[in-house]
Amino acid sequence: MYVPSAVTKQAEIDAAISQVVADLSPDVVRIRYDIGEDWSGQWAIFFRVVLSDDAARRRLRDAITNVVVGLAHRLDFSSMGVFPYHNFRSVSEQAVLQEEAWA
Amino acid sequence: MALCDDLIEDARHLVQRGSLENRPSCKRRAISTAYYAVFHMIVDDFVEHWPFPDQRARLGRMFTHQRMRDTAVKFRDANKPTAVEMDLKDIVRALGQLQKDRHRADYDAGWVVVDTDVAQAITSASDIFARWRSIRNEEAVRNHLLSMFGAKTED
Repeated sequence: MYVPSAVTKQAEIDAAISQVVADLSPDVVRIRYDIGEDWSGQWAIFFRVVLSDDAARRRLRDAITNVVVGLAHRLDFSSMGVFPYHNFRSVSEQAVLQEEAWA
Repeated sequence: MALCDDLIEDARHLVQRGSLENRPSCKRRAISTAYYAVFHMIVDDFVEHWPFPDQRARLGRMFTHQRMRDTAVKFRDANKPTAVEMDLKDIVRALGQLQKDRHRADYDAGWVVVDTDVAQAITSASDIFARWRSIRNEEAVRNHLLSMFGAKTED
């Protein structure tokens, strides 16, 4: 069974995430991720990004761009064999939903 | 007005309705419609050059969602991609994101869609519209569109 190299590079991914969160704080509160197959069966990395309420409400476009570019700058997704997906929610939205995967 | 322009406008209306009436179904339809707006913009950009108008819709149905996402953007010089090539790469990534979210919005009944999900889809679709239309006549974009359609490259 094919497994993308991203699976063995979690330390590198964690380090990149820490840098991006540090660079983009306070707009970016935290980033979680999973590696798995997407709807089409392609391997992917699914980033879940929690934004401050202010960033989600007033600067969403910039926040998305900064996170996407920041992660792509530090991680070579194509050589890792994964397609990157990024989803966002605000602190308030997560407070209501209380989803463990985003905590 | 082209279908794709109607669809992106519809997506924005659905956002407003979903927000005003707190209707999750409208939020899901907004995400789905935003994706299809982008899909049809790209497909229409290809088929409008086919000289037989009555065959354009049929030609457009040859595009597949997966191939549109998976077609790799080729850089003429891998060490020095041009601004257009980088724009194209961003567009393809954003298209893939929208496609995944569209799939989830349409099929994953367990997904609790939040306002940020919807705003992300609309923002992304609007950005793709603007960026694609600003580079659509560039050679790299025309070649990529042909590859998205399924044409093989020379190498």
